[in-house]
Amino acid sequence: MSKNLSELSGRKGIQDNLFDKMGKLALEEGTISKKELAKLADEFLMGTANTYGAMSFYDFMKPDNKNKKVYVCNGSACKNSGKQAKLTKRLGKYFDKDEIGHMTCLGRCHENKAFHFEGKNYSDVSKKDIKKIIKGKSFDGSDAYNMFAYNHQVLTQKGIKMTAFATVLSKVFKMGSEKVLNEIESSNIRGRGGAGFPMAFKLKSARDTPNDTKFIICNADEGDPGAYSDRYLLEKQPYMVLLGMMAAGYVMGANWGILYIRAEYPDAVVIIQKAIDKLRKEKLIGKNILDSGFNFDLKIIKAQGAYICGEETALINSIEGQRPEVRTRPPYPTQDGLFGKPTVVNNVETLAALFYIMENGGEAYAKIGTKRSSGTKLVSLDSFFNNPGIYEVDMGTPLETVVEKLGGGFKKEVKGLHIGGPLGGIVPIHKIKDLNIDFESFNENGFLLGHASIVCIPTKMKMMTYLQDLMEFAKDESCGKCFPCRLGTQRAYELIEKANDTNYKIDRTLFDDLLHTLKTGSLCAHGGGIPLPVRNALDYFGEETALSFQS
Amino acid sequence: MLSFIKRHKGQTYVPTLCDAPNLKPSGSCRMCTIDVALEEGGRTKAMASCHSMVSEGMHLHTHTEDIQRLRKNIIELVLTDHPLDCLTCEVNGNCELQTVAATVGITSVRYPEGANHLDKQKDLSHAYMTSDMSKCINCYRCVRACDEVQGQLVLGIAGRGFDSHIIKGMEQTFADSECVSCGACAQACPTSAISDIFQSKSIANTEKVRTICTYCGVGCNLEVSKVGDAIKSIQAPMDAKVNQGHTCLKGRYAFQFYNHKERLDSPMIRKNGKLEKVSWDEVYDYIANKINGYKKEFGADAIAGISSSRCTNEENYLMQKFIRAVVGTNNIDGCARICHSPTALGMQRTFGTGAATNSVGDIKDTNCILVIGANPTNAHPVTGAKIKQFAMGGGPMIVLDPRRTELAKYAKHHLALRPGTNVAVMNMMFYYIIKEELVDNEFIKNRTEGFEDFKKQILDINMDVMERVSGVKREDVRAAAITYASAKNAMSFHGLGVTEHSQGTFAVMQIADLALITGNIGRKGVGVNPLRGQNNVQGAADMGVQPHQGAGYMDVTNPLVHNQYETFYKAKLSDEIGLKIPEMFDAAIAGKLKCLWIIGEDVAQTDPNTKKVVKAMKNVDLLIVQELFMTETAKLADVILPGASFLEKSGTFTNGERRVQRVNQVVEPYPGTKVDGQILVDIMNRMGYTQPDYTAEGVLAEVAQIVPFFAGITWENLDINGKQWPVSKDGNDTQILHAETFKRGLGYFEFHPFEETKEILDYEEKYPYILTTNRELEHYNCGAMTRRTRNVEILTEDVVMINPKDAKKKGIKEGDMVCMESPRGKVDIKAHITDEVKKGILSTTFHFPEIMVNNITSDVHDSEAMCPEYKVVSVRIRKSKGVFRN
Ligand SMILES: Cc1cc2nc3c(=O)[nH]c(=O)nc-3n(C[C@H](O)[C@H](O)[C@H](O)COP(=O)(O)O)c2cc1C
Ligand code: SF4
Ligand code: SF4
Ligand code: SF4
Ligand code: SF4
Ligand code: FES
Repeated sequence: MSKNLSELSGRKGIQDNLFDKMGKLALEEGTISKKELAKLADEFLMGTANTYGAMSFYDFMKPDNKNKKVYVCNGSACKNSGKQAKLTKRLGKYFDKDEIGHMTCLGRCHENKAFHFEGKNYSDVSKKDIKKIIKGKSFDGSDAYNMFAYNHQVLTQKGIKMTAFATVLSKVFKMGSEKVLNEIESSNIRGRGGAGFPMAFKLKSARDTPNDTKFIICNADEGDPGAYSDRYLLEKQPYMVLLGMMAAGYVMGANWGILYIRAEYPDAVVIIQKAIDKLRKEKLIGKNILDSGFNFDLKIIKAQGAYICGEETALINSIEGQRPEVRTRPPYPTQDGLFGKPTVVNNVETLAALFYIMENGGEAYAKIGTKRSSGTKLVSLDSFFNNPGIYEVDMGTPLETVVEKLGGGFKKEVKGLHIGGPLGGIVPIHKIKDLNIDFESFNENGFLLGHASIVCIPTKMKMMTYLQDLMEFAKDESCGKCFPCRLGTQRAYELIEKANDTNYKIDRTLFDDLLHTLKTGSLCAHGGGIPLPVRNALDYFGEETALSFQS
Repeated sequence: MLSFIKRHKGQTYVPTLCDAPNLKPSGSCRMCTIDVALEEGGRTKAMASCHSMVSEGMHLHTHTEDIQRLRKNIIELVLTDHPLDCLTCEVNGNCELQTVAATVGITSVRYPEGANHLDKQKDLSHAYMTSDMSKCINCYRCVRACDEVQGQLVLGIAGRGFDSHIIKGMEQTFADSECVSCGACAQACPTSAISDIFQSKSIANTEKVRTICTYCGVGCNLEVSKVGDAIKSIQAPMDAKVNQGHTCLKGRYAFQFYNHKERLDSPMIRKNGKLEKVSWDEVYDYIANKINGYKKEFGADAIAGISSSRCTNEENYLMQKFIRAVVGTNNIDGCARICHSPTALGMQRTFGTGAATNSVGDIKDTNCILVIGANPTNAHPVTGAKIKQFAMGGGPMIVLDPRRTELAKYAKHHLALRPGTNVAVMNMMFYYIIKEELVDNEFIKNRTEGFEDFKKQILDINMDVMERVSGVKREDVRAAAITYASAKNAMSFHGLGVTEHSQGTFAVMQIADLALITGNIGRKGVGVNPLRGQNNVQGAADMGVQPHQGAGYMDVTNPLVHNQYETFYKAKLSDEIGLKIPEMFDAAIAGKLKCLWIIGEDVAQTDPNTKKVVKAMKNVDLLIVQELFMTETAKLADVILPGASFLEKSGTFTNGERRVQRVNQVVEPYPGTKVDGQILVDIMNRMGYTQPDYTAEGVLAEVAQIVPFFAGITWENLDINGKQWPVSKDGNDTQILHAETFKRGLGYFEFHPFEETKEILDYEEKYPYILTTNRELEHYNCGAMTRRTRNVEILTEDVVMINPKDAKKKGIKEGDMVCMESPRGKVDIKAHITDEVKKGILSTTFHFPEIMVNNITSDVHDSEAMCPEYKVVSVRIRKSKGVFRN
């Protein structure tokens, strides 16, 4: 990341945004021509190496993918389901091989056979459906999934409409920003994006950093394959999310809220944009909202296909039109974030929870869940469960309850659960009973709650095959900035691939050194986190995996 | 943390690869990781020390087993994607990867062969820069150097993850990219992945000499590597106060002229119309006899000298001493006449001292920069890069320039005025500063005089007229004035776009008054900072190379001073002001000047109105030219003296911030040539004046006795980073002038109304376009040196810039030859169509003799200092016959 580029990009403000412009150009052409890139470089004074370099980072911008017409999901939930090969074959009837690209998780993990065509997502489609879709006949591509709260309804309250938004918003203004901050503090809410960092702490830091311009960013890049709870909130609870952003913005003194939404969620983009337009029409955003003296506006930035953009500093670089590489810390975004301004990045679910906290007070929220993990958590279950879907559970709920009671057990034999995204741990079936859905329980047992998606690993699948897929994902999505991850994920993939494809046996010391290097040396939790599931697999499925290693 | 460890344990105690002393931490290589505990024996956490902060009470474990394991394994990974051909690599023995690999004790790689980038092709497209990306380790130091040091943003990264790779522009070659060949990336690169044709990182180049760049007034320190008497390459020392490891392509790469086969290699005398090689003895006798003869027949004033800002202080001192003490006239002048004479004069009038008030390093401490009539990214590249960094990083900058210069693109305010109207726009600025009540009353009361009158006259100016003549909207001027006047600390930089005008001196006084009215004088981050053109133009003036003031700026007509000089020089001196350069030419044409001695100055190519200059040269009886090459002027000479380049001599140069720095001889003078100072000493002795042989120490010691502000300077105490004058007897130097008082007592306000230049008044109708002149980065002035380096491969010719609208009107296309005609003459030149210039304005360089642009420039001069008005020439243009083809 470059301070100069941040500054140059920021000169034009968020409304005239480089990355946004790049996205629009790429949408028309599939990529961005050198001529256009040069024009943008000139306009923003940021150099062609930067516009070109940024473009080449993204799946949906880079020239390699220019000709792609249809994108098949290669997320872990879909891959594990074993249904994607058939889907690809069926699509092969309509498209050349090089017209079929990949998207990694469309949030249809509960149905699989997911693909993306002409800006829309489809899943669980039959041969006939595919024909209809491709031929442009009318087809309802929407999906349905189970969704309910096991105990407290915090995020799954019914029908949060604009009227409720307005009511809570006026309450927020009445409280004043200090009181709002106090409520957030007393709620004890921790971030739902994976790291579990106390929300109030970040807001306070940004609030205490004086600047005319500040930003609140909603991290809607839900990149973990198997996770679709943010998708649920964006599509079904837009006002809840937007209120959360506004309350957070009000506390820290931000006048801009930015939603960074992944391109793989086209419906979410449309629904949120509609909600923003409505708020604008009703003057619930803009200047001097409800005579509070508070100015606030919202803007969607559509992501372009890169997992690392979910990492908050990469996300900030992305919005700036820089290459979305991870930044070093300090400085922290709360002091020096987007365009060098104080910035808070929060996950969709974290922000959505503010609605409840504003409505019922921080204390009420703190009472839910456990002492150190307050509130509720959304859990996404994939199609191996009898009842796949999104469930809201109080923090501290036994994992077994989620698996058995809510999920209704498995359709097929499953040997492990990959919980919390690719960087989360692999939980063997026998450990399910030891875990509760909260940060501490997972940590203490050597796993990670993360964003709480659950992807099943079927018994039939070789663990080493799963690890190869996982490492392929890790290397493909590495931003490439730090040595251990750029080189280490590639080499780890090669070692596993070689062991899987040939009778090559991996040197255990070497592999151990490699995992140690990734874990200790990586700049961010992408390279730093990937050894966890690998170690879990080696530890809990040692008998199976040992065959690939030198004895 | 890392700098803390380095401070206490040494530079290489913790091995690193992506860290570099002049770059921000990147956190890429992770080699700097250490174990950190918050208390003794406490639990440790691995942290990358380059981007983590130390705090009180921390325990830093830099070499635990775990950490050493990590470092070794990282290097092993790096080597899985790196060729193992160290022995044939150009940086073998001087490669950071090699060193670090040895430190961590890596001997072999355990991984089976995998994907790699070993087949990446070399890029040898460029005149200087080279790359071999198979050697790249993705540390991104080059990218950061191009961004954070040069601000050029040529280098970047494409792809992601393992595919990430360094790119130039959009996957271009160096030659096709926007690279300005500063070499910062090559110096930053820890391997040979980016280097230069001189293999500057090779250990073969063991012997290193530190010296000062000969090109511009920035005064960069250079580290010259040589083997025997052959110069191999040049790098920039990191500990240089002036340039902190940076240079431009002139300093770093344009040195090959030094042993170019076209170097003059013998004294010559014109015999029967032809220049013939003669011995030194013969030439000295010839000159001595001739000069003695003229003295006797026509008086000493029939002789004149033009000294060179390219030469050392010591040589300039000797030249003026020769003219004054041995010849006996004050007819001595220098090239400052045609560039910054108005600066010296104007600032002397307002402050009492005609030199930069502050230092370039103050850019770190300022809150606003005003750039007037200067294009430092081309003409003063290292300072330009620093100003650009300031603006890129969001610092408010105001650029007053007719052209949309590189800096103007990054500026908060660009006031694109019509050439020749600086005074008008500056008066508008004063108007708004007063109207908006942004004047510093306290400062004005205590430190200045003349303000009340000044204010009255400013408030009386006719804004409608000013707006019309300058072509700048008043709101824009107002906004810029507010930015400058409300900044806590504001500093200004100005160049020849201020001085080379009929109202040059007045404009300089206005810039000085702008600092006074806002109290921006006498502390860090403020002041008036002329960007002195040539490497030693400041020094030449300091040494007395001007007709009215002797060494140390003392008035030659003042009887006390006169006496002091006579005693010191032990000679009879003239107490009449001598001739300025333009007056010398007039005197020559009038037949009054018999002998002219020119050192290192190509007046026939660089001075305005070439025809007149050539006529003058031809009219003097004896034209002595002391030079490196057969320049246009040298071709007209009666006597040629082959001098030596900066690489072949010792002495001192004084840069634009008054910093006197040591120039150290790197190689012996080119065969047949002599150090210029020695030539002067020889002739002085030949003419009966005893002067010891030239040594830097010796002459400097003499200078220190007569120039008050050199009093405390010795060759020894200048050390590596020099000293900024005035230097008191105890050796203390001065970073900031006028901290408490001005040399003249109070700062002086004086109002000057805008006056249209005679050039426009006389010729506007018949010659409706205004031609202005500028410099390109790659070449230096007349190009005598840079054209004899590979810089010509990068920039090959002079062009004229034309606004697209004008081009369309005249049916001119990119690359067409156009004819530019002024009342003095015409030239044909290639057109470059660009909106960098406004409608009605043309701009061109004069680096190449093929196109003698000065055939058409005018001889209008600054009313006060006689600096020629290069920046405003009335011309008309048309497409010339046929399309120009390369
Ligand atoms: C590789 C990586 C990917 C991430 N992806 C996401 C993501 O998709 N969504 C998200 O909210 N946070 C993601 N994060 C976490 C963010 O960096 C950040 O911690 C989070 O947005 C903060 O919000 P919270 O405090 O509300 O959790 C990711 C982190 C890493 C290291
Ligand atoms: S760990 Fe991987 S993703 Fe994270 S900064 Fe390093 S290279 Fe980028
Ligand atoms: S030489 Fe200078 S301008 Fe060219 S790429 Fe290197 S750092 Fe950038
Ligand atoms: S070219 Fe050199 S400086 Fe640039 S990333 Fe590669 S090794 Fe580092
Ligand atoms: S900036 Fe000036 S002094 Fe420095 S290297 Fe370039 S020409 Fe030489
Ligand atoms: S939709 Fe395919 S993995 Fe989620």
